[in-house]
Formats: sequence, C-alpha cells, structure tokens
Amino acid sequence: MAFDLNVNGTRHTIDDADLQTPLLWVIREHIGLTGTKFSCGIGQCGACTLHIDGQAVRSCSVPASMAVGKKVTTIEGVSPDGNHPIQAAWKEFDTPQCGYCQSGMIMSALALLQRSASPSDDDINASVTNACRCGTYHRIRQAIHLAADLMKKDGRRQ
Amino acid sequence: MSENGMSSFNRREFLAVVAAAEGAFILGFWAPPQAKAQDATAEINAWIVISPDDTVTIRIAQTELGQGVWTSNAMMVCEELQCDWAKVRPQYASANRDARERAPEWTLQVMGNGATDPRGGGEPGFGSRDRTGVSGIPDSLYRRMRTNAASSVKDGRYYLQLAGAEARERLLLAAANLWSVPVAELTAKDSIITHARSGRTTTYGKIADRAARTPHPNPETITIKPPEQWTLMGTERKNLDVPDKVAGKVVYGIDVRVPDMKWAAVKACPVYGGSVKSYNFDAIRQMLGVRSAMQFPIPDTALTRGRIFSGGVAVVADHWHQARTALDRMPIEWEIPPANAAFSTAGMHEALIAALDQPGRVRVNQGNVDDAFARAARIVEATYSTPYLPRARMEPGNATVLVTGNRVDVWMGDQSPQEVRFSASKITGIPEQNVYVNLCHLGGGFGRNGNGPQAEQAIMIANAHRGTPIHLLWTREEDFIGTTYRAMGMARLKAALDADGWPMAFDIRTAMQEDGFGPESSFDVASRYHVPNYRFSNHTTKFHVPVGTRRGIGQAAHEYYRESFINELAHAAGKDPYRFRRELIARTSLPYKDDMIRALDIAAEMSGWGTPLPRGTARAIALEERGAETNRMATISAMVHTVSISREGTVKLERVDIAHDTGFSLVNPLSVKKQLEGQIIWFYNDAMHQANTIKDGHIVENNFNAFKLSRINEAPPEINIRFFKTGHWLLGMGHDRATSVQSAIGDAIFQITGKRFRDLPYGGHDLSWA
Repeated sequence: MAFDLNVNGTRHTIDDADLQTPLLWVIREHIGLTGTKFSCGIGQCGACTLHIDGQAVRSCSVPASMAVGKKVTTIEGVSPDGNHPIQAAWKEFDTPQCGYCQSGMIMSALALLQRSASPSDDDINASVTNACRCGTYHRIRQAIHLAADLMKKDGRRQ
Repeated sequence: MSENGMSSFNRREFLAVVAAAEGAFILGFWAPPQAKAQDATAEINAWIVISPDDTVTIRIAQTELGQGVWTSNAMMVCEELQCDWAKVRPQYASANRDARERAPEWTLQVMGNGATDPRGGGEPGFGSRDRTGVSGIPDSLYRRMRTNAASSVKDGRYYLQLAGAEARERLLLAAANLWSVPVAELTAKDSIITHARSGRTTTYGKIADRAARTPHPNPETITIKPPEQWTLMGTERKNLDVPDKVAGKVVYGIDVRVPDMKWAAVKACPVYGGSVKSYNFDAIRQMLGVRSAMQFPIPDTALTRGRIFSGGVAVVADHWHQARTALDRMPIEWEIPPANAAFSTAGMHEALIAALDQPGRVRVNQGNVDDAFARAARIVEATYSTPYLPRARMEPGNATVLVTGNRVDVWMGDQSPQEVRFSASKITGIPEQNVYVNLCHLGGGFGRNGNGPQAEQAIMIANAHRGTPIHLLWTREEDFIGTTYRAMGMARLKAALDADGWPMAFDIRTAMQEDGFGPESSFDVASRYHVPNYRFSNHTTKFHVPVGTRRGIGQAAHEYYRESFINELAHAAGKDPYRFRRELIARTSLPYKDDMIRALDIAAEMSGWGTPLPRGTARAIALEERGAETNRMATISAMVHTVSISREGTVKLERVDIAHDTGFSLVNPLSVKKQLEGQIIWFYNDAMHQANTIKDGHIVENNFNAFKLSRINEAPPEINIRFFKTGHWLLGMGHDRATSVQSAIGDAIFQITGKRFRDLPYGGHDLSWA
C-alpha cells in the first residue's frame, strides 16, 4: 500500500515499503536521505534522531505510520546551506570527530533549543541523551550554549 | 523520489566513470562542489593535483575516522607546497593505483638522524614488505595506507612534506624556465610565484600544466622544513570535513548507493569457529523484496591474520530492512565446535589465574628479585583484571562490493584498504591490479578495522552474485560478533619494600590469551619506576575469541595495572602518590626521565595538587608514556583526575588536568586536544561501564542496552590541557592517552570509600560510603 510522507517540506510517495517499516529505513533507503544514521536499531543511541512535528524521535524504533500526516525534519532539512545557528556553533567548536552520531546529536539539541531558549547544563544532560563514541561531549555542550546565543540574536527559534 | 544525486546514472555510465576516475567517483558523489574534478587539472605528483583556478587536491592515503587525518595530512603537504590553505581539497588516494605503481624513489629514504633530530624524518615504521598489506607495503605508491597505531603523522610526515616540497620546486622550476630566469630568484607563497626583480607573478594554477611536464632534476636533494620554519603545521586548524559533517552530507560506507544495488543482512554463528549446518530459505522466500539466500564459510584465516571468526548466512533483498526482517525469521541450525561452546567468563578467568602460576616468558630479569623479596621489610601484592572489550564504533560494519568479469569494486570505510584489496583478489581470483577499494569516511575506528570480516563476507556474497552490487550491513548485534576484541587480561604485581617503603624489587606477571596484542606494554625493557631488582614475565593461555588492536592496545590495560599498583605502593608507604612517582622516576637512568618529571609537575600544578577538597572528592595522578624506556620516539603525558563520589556511590569525573608532550612540535594542536578529550571519555567508559562477557562460547552484551556508552551527563565539566615541548619526535597520541582515567577512578574510590577494587569496570561495584 502506497503512503505519503512529508520530509523537509517535500512530499514523498512510498510505494515499495509497508507502514510498519521503521521510519529510519524509509528515510534512508526509500527517500534517499542518508544524513540520519543507523547504529543500534533499538532506540538506545540516538544516531537516528529526527523530528516529527518538532519532537525529537529515534527513528529506528518508530514505524513509518507514525509520521504519516505529520512534518518530518531530518538533518538535511535544518538549513539549506548548513549555516543554521546550531550548525554554525558546531563548526565554531570543530565539534565532530568521526561525525557519525552528530546528525542525531544536532537534532536532539535543536529540539531542546526550540523549546528552551537558554538551556542549563542540567537541561542539556536531561535532553541530549545521545551517545558519541568519539567522546565529543565537551564540545557539544559548549556548542549548544553558543547555539542558544546565536539563535536568540538571530531571532530564530526554528 | 530523490536518489541522493545518483538517479541520472545508469549502470554503463557508472562503470565508465569508475573506470576513468578510480577513487574519484566516490568523491564526486559527496564532496563539496568545488572539489569535483575540473577540466585541465594537472597532477604534479601522486599526492598533488592543481586546477587552473588554484584549487589544490591533496590525496590522503589514510582513512578519516574522526582523528583529523583528512586535515593533518593535507597540512603536511600544504606546508611545503606553500599553497593557499583555503583552496586545499582532500581526496582519498587510490588503493588501486597503489597496487599498480611503485613509490617514487625520493620518498624511500628517511632523512636525518632519527627520533631526536628536529631536521629529520623521525623514525617511521613500515615493517618488512608484506603483500597482504597487514604491515603496509613499504615501496608501493602510497606505502602505508593503513590507519593505525596513532601513526599517520609519525610515519607519513617526512614523505608528505617531501611530496609538497617536490611539487613546489617543480612549479618554481617551470616558472623559471618560462621566464628564463634563475629559479633561485623566485619565491612562492599562497599559490603565487613571484619574480621580485622583474615584478612578474603567476599562480600555481597557471603554471601547473607545465610543472606536471617538468621533471625534478635532483629529487634526492629535496629537503623538508624543520619545525622552526613551519607556518601552517603547528597551528590550530579546524577539520576540513566538519562543515559537511554538521550538514549530514558526508558519505560513510553505510551511505553508499550504486545503481541496481541489493542489500545483504547476515548472521554469523554467535560462537566463534561455528558454521552453518542448515537453513531454510523456503520459509522466507515469498517475503517482500527478498531475492536470495546463501551460506558462507568461516573467512579464510589467511585473510584475517589467523583469526577464526564464524561461518554464516546472508539474505539478499531490495532493501536492508527487508533482508534483515526475513533473516530473523529464517530457521538456521549451527554447527558449533563443543570446545568453543565450553568457554565462559568465569572459567576463562580461572584459566588466566592458572596461567599466572605457570612459567611464562621472562622479558626482563634484572638484579636478584627472589633475594630481594627474602630481605624485604614488607611485601605488597595485587592482582588486577580487565575484561574483553570491543571497538563498538557507531557505524556498524558494512561494505559494498561489485564483482564483474575481471574487476572488483569495494566501497567502504576501512583502516587497511591494502588488506581489503588482497582479500578481494584472493576470494575472487581477480588480480589486485583490478581491485578498486574506494575509501569512505569511517563512523569511528578505534582500532584497525580491516581485521574484522565485513569486507570478506561482502566479497564472498558479491562473488556469488557477480554483476550485482551487494551492500552488506551488520546489525549492531552482528557488529559485536564481527569485531575483534581487546583480550581479557590479568596482572599479578608484587613489590618488595624496604623499611622506608621504597621498592627493592618488582615481580610483575601479566596474562592474556596467546594472540593478545601488546603484552610487553608499559613494563618491558626497564621499569619506569626505579627498582634495583626487576622481573617481568608474560603468561598465556588459549581462548577462542578473536582479538585485535583496539584503541590503546596493550597500553590501556597495562598502564592501568602499573599506575594502580604505584598508587597502592604510595599509600602503603604513607607517601604522596605524586611525589612518590616523581622520586622513583628521578632515581632511574631513563633517557626521558626529565620529560616524565616535567609532565607530573605540570599536571600536579595545574590541578592544585595538595589543596583541600570537599569530603567525597579526591585527586589521583598518573604517568602515561609510550616509548619512555628507550631513547627513540616517545609520547609522554601526565594527568590529574579530580573525582567525586556521592554517598550513594555515584561517581563523577569532575575535572581533568593534562600535561602533554608535543615532541618537537604537534602538527594540528586542535586535533590533538579533541583526541585527548575523546580519549578521556573512552577510558572513562572502560573504567566505569564496559565489559563483554562470554557465555557458552558467545558474546553476551551485544547492543547498547547491555553494553553501556556514557552520555554527556557523565562527561567531565572541566578539561585543562597544557602542552610542553620536548626534544624528540612524538610516537603518536591518538590511542593510548587518558588511560589514567582507569587508575585514577580506582584510586579515588579507595581514597573516598576505603574500598580497593582491582577489576574493571568499577560501575558494577557498590561504591557507596558512610
């Protein structure tokens, strides 16, 4: 059965996957957006984090049906040019090492920043629970605080 | 549907592009638009291509896995080339070309006088010629394509600088010939060549085509800049791939898409050495997207450095999730060697203890150890143990392989493409000259990845589906089967102390399985801490778990044993652990003892060593060194970790103060800082959370629910790094720094709770106190 998904503002018709397929795989293989990563497959690590209607979701563990009729945003949809304040902040601290977890990390942090303009360290600890094996946490924390400042200056919460 | 920029390719075009551009295809697929192949580019030498618009493409023969080699290798070339850093674009070197061409003669001789000559090339290690690529191939075009042992800068620096210098001199010569002026009158800076006397200038882009046709008349005379002349090397440079990484644009192996590609999910026998007895494809063949199933044998141990993995089954489908779902429903019966199924952690632990009591390989025996123990005022003995540990990189194992009539293409991130090339040739019977390993970035490395069998499995599956590109992807659970582990290990450390608490003798025994890596680490040749009588022996037994070079190799466990024990001795003697270490190092005659003392002094001072701390908080110090037993290359650091433990037993690493040796100079200090920060987290996880146990021959913890990864809430809020210069070239720093987190947390637990634990990880223990 074909179904439609709205991803980064574009409507995609999926005709070769069923609705129970995890959203991650529909995004990666059927739509072809590979910035969202697979790592654990059980919703533990957060490498597959994207937004459904602005909420951070671990897409390896939700069926595609959950996203039907809603707005899905992936790392590719954060900005057209890679210069959203959160991306600028990430670049300022040269945050990624291998980079594999960073799409999910940015999507988690962005969801936090969109609901909390000036998150505290405790807010970050509670909300950005993704795993990074390279251990970039020190720079991620600084980048989130900088992103909060840049987003306020920018007047941008999206 | 969008297709990641690939939709316009049909298969014939695709093969034509691959044939024409080799590794460039994968680059054109994902790199920023400026880096795409441009018309009239000129290859000056195998590392450097210059475009008319002055873009300089620098070929990288190591793999970017987060360590920053994409940037640091380019810096070493650019320093000498004197081109505009803003116009540098890295590109992976071709492993195929490496199979076809020999290294230029001028790259084969290391100049200078070794580790302590600032004008020389240091002491790169290439090993003997080994066509399997395990040790690199010393005279193939790119020589060492492996990415391991924190060696990309240490081994590659001299010839990457040479490559830049050779190209610069030829660009200058081409301009001199064009203008009929002496080459000595020309200068080059930021890709511009100037003849001051006549006021003429040109750019690298304009002269590149001539330079490509201008041979170097005396390549053996090329010299490289010593650190005092560096202007780019030694400065902090952000990594060139970070803009793509924050935009989700980098293509890792898992992201490779080629036309008509099918996906493979695999299950290997969970017990190493096992294979498939039977499977029932009929049970799943009707499922959506499913194409075929096949079994594959245990990969040839000649391709896996003797390691015995497992045989398994693959299901091939249109999409990976389809393949994986079908595979999960397919009945499989395994053939399991009973001896391997008999292994469990408790029994293996007993076997290691038994090995410690057997005669071992005595590596060092100085003075008269037994006599000193007979005379001792006091004897301290401790037995430490460390578990099996995997890499658990975030990107699960994967490889995409297309085998056609007389050609193999492999797309993957891998730390040893020369080994993959060898495997592809052996499995398919197609010569290595026709194997194309197209490198991608790796989603974490943490120990040479080429020795897990994902490439071999994918090549076997693709060889059975010739003409169809096969993308193999492991589940996380499968990744825990396919990785190699750092060997489970033990150490029994005994010290004879005199009446003042100073050591009279050490008797150090370590145990791990026979093929474990780095048994000599941290103790060999000479004791780092002065002792008149010293014996060090290694003891082995046989286990079936495939072990390999995980981040930190032997250093990680052995430095943990050593520094923990030194803390125990300091406490036993009632002496300050910093001053105790300082005095024992001062009493040695080790060549780098002053550097070690300096590291301890700086770290202690940075941390406010000796100043009061609140109850429940403690500091612990440790020495970290590799190579300090000789006068060759070495890396020396010391760290002080400030650790708090709540009364309920929650550990928090509050602060880390690091004194780190730069050698003559670091290449990219920013990258070094990032790797130090990362290794703190790495060894924090080893200290607190991570262990793999064995039950009935298989790995028990096989996903991130049971195998814990720390999160940002556990990361230390404060990290301070201070560099100090020394008089030797560095032995690397990408894998064996911050091992001290382990001994420091252990000692903080002792200081705060009074409990001394000697087995990792500590997270499993009751750390509460009243």
